[in-house]
Amino acid sequence: MALKDDVAKIVGEGNVSDAKKDRLMYSRDYSLVPPGIPDAVAYPSDSLQVSAILKYCNSKNIPVVPVSSSRHFYGSTIPKQGGLLVDLTRMNKIQEINDADRTARIEAGVTWGQLTAELEKKGMRMIMPLLPPADRSVLTDWLEREVPTNTVYDYGEPMQAMEVVWPASEPFRIGSASVNGFPDSKSRGGNPSGPGLDFYRLVQGAQGTMGIVTWSHIKIEWMPKIDKILFAPVSDLSYAIEFLHRILPRRIGQECMVLNNVDLAAILAEKWPDDFDRLAATLPAWTLILVISGLFRRPEEKIAYEEKFLKEVLRNEFRDLVLTDALPGFPGAARKLLPMLRKPWPADKPYWKHQWRGSSQSLFFIARPASAPLFIDVVEEVAARHGYPISEIGVYFQPIEHNRACQLEFTFFYHEDEAAVIAGLYRDAAQALMNEGAFFSRPYGELAPMVYERAAGYSAALKRVKKVFDPKNIMNPGNLCF
Amino acid sequence: MPTTQFSLDIKKLDNFAYDMSRCIKCKGCYWVEHTYMPGVRFSTRCPSNTWNDFDAYGAFGKMRIGLAMIEGKLKWSPKLLEIIYADPLCGACDVGCKRNLDLEIGLSLEAMRVKAVQEGAGPMPAHKKVAENIAKTHNQFGAPHENRKKWLTADIKIAEKADVLYFVGCSASYVAPEIARSAAKVLNAANISFMLMPDEWCCGNTLFSVGMLDEARELAKRNIEAVKATGAKTVMLTCAEGYRMWKVDYPKLLNISTAELGFNVVHFVEAADEALKKGTLRLSKPQNVRLAYHDSCGISRLADPWTPYSGERGWMGTVNPRLKRRRGTSGLYAQPRNLIAAIPGASFVEMPRTRENSFCCGAGRGTKEAFPDLASFSAKHRLEEVREVGAETLVSACPWCKNNFSQAVRQNGDNIKVVDIAELISASL
Amino acid sequence: MAISKKAYNALESIVGAKYITDDPAVCEGYRSGPGGYESGLGYERVMTKIPACVVLPRTTEEVQRIVKVCNRYSVPYVPYSTGFYGPRSHCHVENELLVDLKRLNDFEIDEKHMYAVVGSGVIYSPLQEEAMKRGMYVIIGGGGAQASVIANLIGDGWSPLSHRIGLPHRRILGTELVLPDGELVKMGSLAVGEDPFWGDGPGPDLRGLLRGFTGLRGCLGIVTKMAVKLLPFQPEKPMPTGIAPNTALALPEHRMKWINYQVPNKAAQVKAMFEISKAEIAGAVTKVPLFWRAIAKAECKEEFWDLWGKENEETIKNFHIVRVLLIGFTSEEQMKYDENVLNDIMAELGSQPRATKPSDESWIKNADSAGMWLMCGSYVSVDYIIETLSHAVQHGEAYADLKKKYTPPLMPDYGDPGWFQSFELGHQGYSEFLVYWDQDEDTTGVDHFYVETSKMNIRNRFYTSLLGPHQPLYLTGPKYGPNYHQWLLKVKDEFDPLWVCHPPTPLAHDVFVEKAEWMKSIKDWEVPKKFPMPKWE
Repeated sequence: MALKDDVAKIVGEGNVSDAKKDRLMYSRDYSLVPPGIPDAVAYPSDSLQVSAILKYCNSKNIPVVPVSSSRHFYGSTIPKQGGLLVDLTRMNKIQEINDADRTARIEAGVTWGQLTAELEKKGMRMIMPLLPPADRSVLTDWLEREVPTNTVYDYGEPMQAMEVVWPASEPFRIGSASVNGFPDSKSRGGNPSGPGLDFYRLVQGAQGTMGIVTWSHIKIEWMPKIDKILFAPVSDLSYAIEFLHRILPRRIGQECMVLNNVDLAAILAEKWPDDFDRLAATLPAWTLILVISGLFRRPEEKIAYEEKFLKEVLRNEFRDLVLTDALPGFPGAARKLLPMLRKPWPADKPYWKHQWRGSSQSLFFIARPASAPLFIDVVEEVAARHGYPISEIGVYFQPIEHNRACQLEFTFFYHEDEAAVIAGLYRDAAQALMNEGAFFSRPYGELAPMVYERAAGYSAALKRVKKVFDPKNIMNPGNLCF
Repeated sequence: MPTTQFSLDIKKLDNFAYDMSRCIKCKGCYWVEHTYMPGVRFSTRCPSNTWNDFDAYGAFGKMRIGLAMIEGKLKWSPKLLEIIYADPLCGACDVGCKRNLDLEIGLSLEAMRVKAVQEGAGPMPAHKKVAENIAKTHNQFGAPHENRKKWLTADIKIAEKADVLYFVGCSASYVAPEIARSAAKVLNAANISFMLMPDEWCCGNTLFSVGMLDEARELAKRNIEAVKATGAKTVMLTCAEGYRMWKVDYPKLLNISTAELGFNVVHFVEAADEALKKGTLRLSKPQNVRLAYHDSCGISRLADPWTPYSGERGWMGTVNPRLKRRRGTSGLYAQPRNLIAAIPGASFVEMPRTRENSFCCGAGRGTKEAFPDLASFSAKHRLEEVREVGAETLVSACPWCKNNFSQAVRQNGDNIKVVDIAELISASL
Repeated sequence: MAISKKAYNALESIVGAKYITDDPAVCEGYRSGPGGYESGLGYERVMTKIPACVVLPRTTEEVQRIVKVCNRYSVPYVPYSTGFYGPRSHCHVENELLVDLKRLNDFEIDEKHMYAVVGSGVIYSPLQEEAMKRGMYVIIGGGGAQASVIANLIGDGWSPLSHRIGLPHRRILGTELVLPDGELVKMGSLAVGEDPFWGDGPGPDLRGLLRGFTGLRGCLGIVTKMAVKLLPFQPEKPMPTGIAPNTALALPEHRMKWINYQVPNKAAQVKAMFEISKAEIAGAVTKVPLFWRAIAKAECKEEFWDLWGKENEETIKNFHIVRVLLIGFTSEEQMKYDENVLNDIMAELGSQPRATKPSDESWIKNADSAGMWLMCGSYVSVDYIIETLSHAVQHGEAYADLKKKYTPPLMPDYGDPGWFQSFELGHQGYSEFLVYWDQDEDTTGVDHFYVETSKMNIRNRFYTSLLGPHQPLYLTGPKYGPNYHQWLLKVKDEFDPLWVCHPPTPLAHDVFVEKAEWMKSIKDWEVPKKFPMPKWE
């Protein structure tokens, strides 16, 4: 087949396939997006190959779907118009770890499992979203703006300088990596912005529709010397959110989140279904989880001042909240959960959201924290209409940057044969949430047309930008508003 | 390195070419000084540029226009005259700029007016009327000269000879006699012996301020001679405009320093405050009012004494000999506040813009006559602050302020009493 | 010099007669320079013009309509918030309209969610005051409190307080941008509703069009409204003290403190920054140029030269200060912890704290930034880079060498390597170089120095702010990206096919080099026969 043969000239015979079994592997994922199959799959090993591939596909008007992980939740890597799937998992080198400047350069195929292990050897870590699968691409998760569990850093975004390949161009370096000769340069890759325009913004949240990011610098941190994980059972979510408004701007804590009983049970359970059933039934409605840490110098003093502050606030202002270093009734929760928050979910275990019924769909969006109870009501109402038990919805409240905003995530668990019901529930819930002001900043699958209909002006401008970088619309067509 | 001779002489706009060409458009002349910035409301202290938003109406715009005038790029026009004259020359720009830089903004603005008069384009018709009045009847208003002392009442004791000469001024003499009476009563009560000018004429503030230097100089000479002839050691005023004129601009007109005048120039608040400290002034009658105090420009930003200067400018714009610039540090801020604090029952609130950050009432230095709209706008804008702090009474230290605020209060229908500080003190005797 | 009568009438019907003018005196008030940021140089003399007409819109809608009229009648226009940024923010062609945005000064604040919504006319010090009244703070860029918040956030936007947050780009939330053809784009959560609380997306992030590492000088549209992040502060508001010119903010003793440390050498200075960042303490950490100390002490320009004239290369080489601002964000105990850790670090480096005033003039309300012009009358920050700390240190050295060649006309700084510090708790480093000169002297050297700095960066492979419209696009373009300039020009062509928005930016510096005779000698890069843009004169 012409496509395969032509691509083989770029990547080598063994690194391209049009075998059905290979193509089928990319045709579905954990989302409800209908299956779609590429015409061939290529496995490039470096940016120059990626560039050659894109030039070729651009000249022939062949859609390109870039993929960097082995596991996908949102449907954006399912080919919507056929074409060539470009699998970057071979590009999995951690090219550099610079502990003085606290930055690492990773290729698109570097996974959470890989990176956390390497960093751990040096006593370092990255801020992370909640339990990313070990076989997911770190770079993709940050490009797609997954929300970190760590709320204390004002500088939020972990991504720094990067390389992107636009259709019909040489590899293009963004930010301070744009310096000629990088990385053989004085520039070390610490700045994502520029040159000229903030290209890095255009590829964020783009679901591979603008270009292919081949590597990126990311911020890395030192492991704290002391960590203490604290729990508070919560029955009134608003109360807990007020507490977070009080303590998070005071720069308390590292990781901080609120999980409902269903989500936390699914995370903690080891023996299925017994552990899960017991946990889901006996965990408090919500659990606030807060990690406080001492760093390199005088770590005990840091823990001490944070604890003192918390104690005073709780005593004087939040008497109904009991924050301790154990989850009442669950000995060992602290010892179990803390390392989990600093590591990805093991690839050899079913993902925590899939252990219960095999399938799940998560609806997540950015919101004002105080609106969380309203949104919960909205979802519960829609769930009830679709016959989905309210007690079986997973809810995860993630404060963002001092709790100035939050990500709210609702998870519906189901057996495969219930997919149609869940699809209806998902769609109606999304619509209802949007009507109430939920901001879906990452519109995957069928959320995209819902969002872009409301954001008509934004969508029009996006299309004009797309016209500049991908005039033939070969990059992952059929996603977002493209 | 070539040097340029220059002097702080407003008769030649060229003297300020360096200053105008080094304006950096930071608008420190327009904004309340950032350290004291009170928030998004009340953020400016330039009346002209708050009244008219085009850059030309701020000092930073005028510096560019002044340069264009030197370069011969602009023709005289009504608009150009408005830009130059719709401005109370309140000193906010000069002091704002001098927080960080060494540029003579205030003098540049004065020099632009002088140039307008020199070239026959200025001043405004309303100013010419004032000049006519002064020439004919020795007061701004064209009122009969013989009525100048009509404010005096029988109970006021005037000395034949005293160290202190109270220069009443046109406004207190003719349109705000309550100020003169109150001040006189306070002085009497404090046993401060004072005399009046045998034949008091206008101080010439408006003439000077609009660029009519020759006329103003004649008046200055005449008035100084008249004071010297009385043997007074101190000239005291209740008018902030007059205070500034005597203390700063008489020396400027005569190319001498304030110290060389031959007598001290003080404002009533200084005399009263000194008496309060000495114990000779006692305030016992309570006044249960919530009041705000407006720092009149003439006794705040514009109060630094004058020293003539000429020298040369050289490398990097450095001047030789060294020049200690007037940066508005001599404002009479403590004295009125001490006096107010001494009034039993009075509750004093500072406005968001205070001291050198005060927003000019907009009346002075020829503005009210030629641009009543600007004067009204400024006063009304300042009254918003008075309302903001919930004050019932607004106190100031200048009849121009009092008159302008009073008119604005009437037009607004505000429930705010406007008094001069002399009246306030007098009411607590 | 005029715009067409039809255009003028159409504009007048939008803003009303009171807010439009073509009067020569009023327009003269909008002259660029001859004093100011980057003023008194060739670029300003060659590239700036007096506007033919000025309008003062009040709302986004008025701005949109103005821009559409400009497109209809081919009227070039430039957006202008304060004009403080110097020649690059002024009219560049004949018969141009200046859109003065100062009346877009609406302000809202959401205390709970820590953001404020501002129009283009809002400047920093009122915003800082409103934030501090509510226990929050903002980072006022080095340009000073008089800078427009929006203009600064899409242009530059950093200060020693960037130690904690770094890039100003991520302080931008929901934003309204009027595109060069008059279409309106609302970004972030504003794209789907009225709430501006969030800035990303939806999907790809069009905030990428607002700026690059440094700004686009308004050539890709006009931002009329922006929600801006406020950062949680400590609860005791610093209070203003003193009478001008000696005003300062008194710092609350147990919650805010500047400490100056003298360290034995440059290496220790750098190490201090690495260690303080690694320890994740402090609100600001910086090494500032030594002549700023002289500015702070001097009452006048002459006194500055008394002080500065006593320094030389030896004294500069041997005097190293690290300035640290401690902020008790959490509590007094946290500030004590920060101070203990800081003293541990500085003791390891052989340093002791010096007596430091318990006040701030420069970085909280930024009242003294205009002092940059005190010494010589002219100033520009010729290059300023956010990269890593390692980069910052090396850049300073290379640059100091180049600068010697151009001193005079540049002010002697005895090799002081400028302002540098940590950003983002050490994930980034910042270096800035400030140059000063007297515009009455021959400033050809300064014009050349600018471009030579670009070339030095390219040769030595440094990142730089001298990109985009700041320097010739055809010089830097091929060397960064590579060919970022082609993408920038394509985006420009897509959104502004008439090039009616602030022409000839982003090619303004390229045009300057072509027009200025004295720039020919240093022009050693290729440019196309004709610049790819419509011709404006």
